Amino acid sequence: MSVRARRRIDGWGIAGWIFLILLLFFATLPMVWMLITSIKTQFAALQYPPEWFPRYPTIEQYVRLLSPQSEVGYVFLRYMLNSFWVSLASTVLGVLVAVPAAYAFSRFRFPGRNALFFSVLFRNMFPAVVFLMPLFIMMRAFGLVNTHASLIITYLTFGLPLSIWLLKGFYDNIPVELEQAARIDGCTRFQAFYLVVMPLSAPGIIATAIYAFITAWNEYVYALTFLNSEALLTLPVGLQRFFAEYATNWPGLMAASFIMSVPVVIMFLVLQKYFVRALTEGAVKA
Amino acid sequence: MRDVVKRYGAVTAVNHVSLTVADGEFVALVGPSGCGKTTSLNLIAGLIELTTGEIFIGERQVNDLDPKDRDIAMVFQNYALYPNKTVYQNLGFPLRMRRLGKAEIDSKVREAARLLDITHLLDRRPRELSGGQQQRVALGRALVRDPQVFLMDEPLSNLDAKLRVQMRAELKRFHQDLNATVVYVTHDQLEAMTMADRMAVMSGGDLQQYDTPERVFAEPANTFVAGFVGSPAMNLIEMRLGQENGRVTLGAEGWSLTLDDANARRVAAASGPGIVLGARHSSMELHAEPGPDLVPGRVYTVEPTGDLTYAHVYLGQAVVVVSVDPQLRLGADQPVWIGFDQNRLHFFDAATQQRL
Repeated sequence: MSVRARRRIDGWGIAGWIFLILLLFFATLPMVWMLITSIKTQFAALQYPPEWFPRYPTIEQYVRLLSPQSEVGYVFLRYMLNSFWVSLASTVLGVLVAVPAAYAFSRFRFPGRNALFFSVLFRNMFPAVVFLMPLFIMMRAFGLVNTHASLIITYLTFGLPLSIWLLKGFYDNIPVELEQAARIDGCTRFQAFYLVVMPLSAPGIIATAIYAFITAWNEYVYALTFLNSEALLTLPVGLQRFFAEYATNWPGLMAASFIMSVPVVIMFLVLQKYFVRALTEGAVKA
Repeated sequence: MRDVVKRYGAVTAVNHVSLTVADGEFVALVGPSGCGKTTSLNLIAGLIELTTGEIFIGERQVNDLDPKDRDIAMVFQNYALYPNKTVYQNLGFPLRMRRLGKAEIDSKVREAARLLDITHLLDRRPRELSGGQQQRVALGRALVRDPQVFLMDEPLSNLDAKLRVQMRAELKRFHQDLNATVVYVTHDQLEAMTMADRMAVMSGGDLQQYDTPERVFAEPANTFVAGFVGSPAMNLIEMRLGQENGRVTLGAEGWSLTLDDANARRVAAASGPGIVLGARHSSMELHAEPGPDLVPGRVYTVEPTGDLTYAHVYLGQAVVVVSVDPQLRLGADQPVWIGFDQNRLHFFDAATQQRL
């Protein structure tokens, strides 16, 4: 028997590859350009034609941004801290709400269950900006304008629908017999949940948490609208200020942008296997 | 279980069921899907709440106890092994939850593993095991605890046919060796027949009959039990009481059967003229020639199974299944004559469906 090991390469295959490479090029070039520019001197950044490989690479901008003593660094680190706080708080609160909610939707039959579940998703049918003014007016009524709380609450409500939906899929796939077995084996209902179900749904929880965190981390419009004190700004809005005030300092701006994307990238790299599992497992796990 | 009722809204899943399981007894709850058997088991386990009634385990009334406090162990149809734990951790989990010492857990886990011949699997995770091995682990997780009652919910139905027969024998043997009290749910009447000391046949939430397999088989309480227990199913034919030459007969369209004195007395208790005649394939005989007391029929189809051949025969409008010698050559539409063994016939009141 002869085995034909060589894969056939046909026209469609080549076209597919070209398409993918082009796509990759468009996706990565801005990132690469950002990185290159960030290590250039200010003078080199404005040169034409541009240098692909800076002749005098420097980490001066990074040092400046990350040292609390420098004027720029002080402001930048403050933005970053704000972003971390707002994103983390809305993520943690989101998980704390989404986990029991998703579990309840998955396990319990109660009157109005479906209506409630779809009303949770209803929010996602509208673009986020639609709620900008109503939410602003509400926040003003509650005296929350220009506080981090306003953003945390907003991000929490925006992240919840998808978190609940995603987690419910997870819980649906965990056989209810596992909890029953646990309860017979000596667990209370709550122990059965956190000793047996929670560990099994950890990938889902992690995935939803990442999603919520990244969404909050990158959010711009609401942060711009709700906050006005310099000291409270989050990174996306802060970077916008950089544009205005430091427009000539391209390497500085690029370095700041790069630093901002680092946490997201790291999170994704470390946890991407959970993320992929979470998104696929909901659909096909036996 | 005393007068237990479970209702879901307007649906009654378990309807005033009472049954007692003796210590060391193997009881099978059997019936078609939706008959209330699994609901009954979950009620005993405490996984769902009673609507009314009482459940006792030993001397204790357990109505309001959590499953964990009922001193029971359960084996599930899908085994419900903890997928992120090793076999060892699965077996040890019920002991750990009861705060036993490490050494004690270890010795009990190893003892159960040895008993079930799964010692070499202790470090594996459930997904690395075959169906039969998972089954053993599930059983082991129940065994380690030495509970008052073992509850088993269709534990063999996910196994292939050959393994199922083997595990059936093993389970029965375990029950005898451990002298354990077992409540076993199955839809397979054969499993119930082969394993149980007593079987509780359920249908539509009602307990139809609760007795030893022999008695359930020999004296089914009603037409449901008669049709459910035994394979192939008992032939049930709607007939009417009549008289012929001073003797009691049962008549159907195109044929009739003269009853002997003993049977005549039995059917006399019927509330009306409608009688359901029950006859197993083995209590009828097929003849190629006419004779006295034989009923003429016509072969519909023939099913050879190796040891026995089942002939489906038209008697008037009714089709009955008769077991015949596999040597016998029968063709479709061939005229045949059926003899009934009067000592092994069943009669049911057509109005109440109850045994006469």
